[in-house]
Amino acid sequence: MKNFFADLSMNKKLGLFAFVLGFLALFAGSPYHGSEATVNAKELALIVEKEVDHVSVQTLADWIIQGKSDFRLIDLRSEKDFAEYHVPFAENILLSGLDQSNLQHNEKIILYSDGGIHSAQAWMLLEAKGFKGVYILRGGLEEWKDQILFPRIPENPTPAQVVEFAKTKEVSKFFGGTPQSGATLEAATPKLSMPKLDAPAGAQSKAPPAKKKKEGC
Amino acid sequence: MIAPFFKYGLFGEDISLVVAFITGIGFGFFLERAGFNSAKKLAAQFYFTDLTVFKVMFTAIITAMVGLYYLSVIGFLDLSLVYLTPTFLLPQVVGGLILGFGFVIGGYCPGTSCVAVSTGRIDGMVYLGGIIFGILVFGEVFPLVSNFYVSTSMGQITLPQITGLPYGLLVFLVVLMALGGFVGAEWIEKKMASKKAGASL
Repeated sequence: MKNFFADLSMNKKLGLFAFVLGFLALFAGSPYHGSEATVNAKELALIVEKEVDHVSVQTLADWIIQGKSDFRLIDLRSEKDFAEYHVPFAENILLSGLDQSNLQHNEKIILYSDGGIHSAQAWMLLEAKGFKGVYILRGGLEEWKDQILFPRIPENPTPAQVVEFAKTKEVSKFFGGTPQSGATLEAATPKLSMPKLDAPAGAQSKAPPAKKKKEGC
Repeated sequence: MIAPFFKYGLFGEDISLVVAFITGIGFGFFLERAGFNSAKKLAAQFYFTDLTVFKVMFTAIITAMVGLYYLSVIGFLDLSLVYLTPTFLLPQVVGGLILGFGFVIGGYCPGTSCVAVSTGRIDGMVYLGGIIFGILVFGEVFPLVSNFYVSTSMGQITLPQITGLPYGLLVFLVVLMALGGFVGAEWIEKKMASKKAGASL
């Protein structure tokens, strides 16, 4: 056997090598690692049209305050932006990293980016990969800043709005924000500083994971 | 998973040109080493007296195929990101025939003509001049043929997609095809050589 191999010419050895590699390929499986996906365009269009895939910043804030932990909040911005500020309990996953992330198909996933574009694109990618419980934070971090961190009371507020704003203020303070009262509008506010990254006291840890009823289907 | 390097952003457009330059020089070097700077050797392909072109090209194909396949299987390369030339069946058949005619008549294909030029062959220089002239003519008449140029579009398709066979099986079949081709080519070469020896006696 040894002689047989040694007697072969270089070309025949290479040919034999190619044959062995080719033969092993029969059992080595597919070279694609599932980075391609197909979508049901109609189904997606309906979801988008009915906007059942959106979560408002107020709802998210309420969930965090209530200590819900049945969802995963994904920050799609760059690591640098993430380090500067992110919504409490958010995880940082880049768009290109979604493929290799440890997200599970049965999890409730809430995506946010600066505006809404990247999260919408990520939503599309995840839907195409068969994730069913994916939601977009409406308006993204911009909206989070406007509505939660630095809310403003409207000019000449109605009594109802005043009551509403009192609640908003509490929410804002919980997240370390600075509510803008009507009097100190624009000119008086030089630069709004983002809150520190420490988790708000008392959130999440105390409450047992509350079961949120399934949405969607 | 880190390859393809360009698509994962390991380098930009400018570095990619440098990479292309180095790869191109390497490609040319090995074409020259295989003797492909000689029009006589290349044209002999079509008279079945010397099938080196066939053997070299098919070797390159299965080497690349097996390499890409196993690199993807072990997860070093994302095969779905590797660029595939889209298939336009009819225009590419016609284009292939035209290139084949040019190959027999001129004795070079585009790559080997560049190799011939770099080794100082005058016929290679004339051939390269012809290529440039041909590109100009094609550019001028393109509006007339543009409809045909984009007809029978099939997109970026691969053999596993067309045949529905498992990828690994196709790798094996193509390797078998190549090995069979090599044996057949050697046989034909021998046969033509003995015929030639008989004729010259």
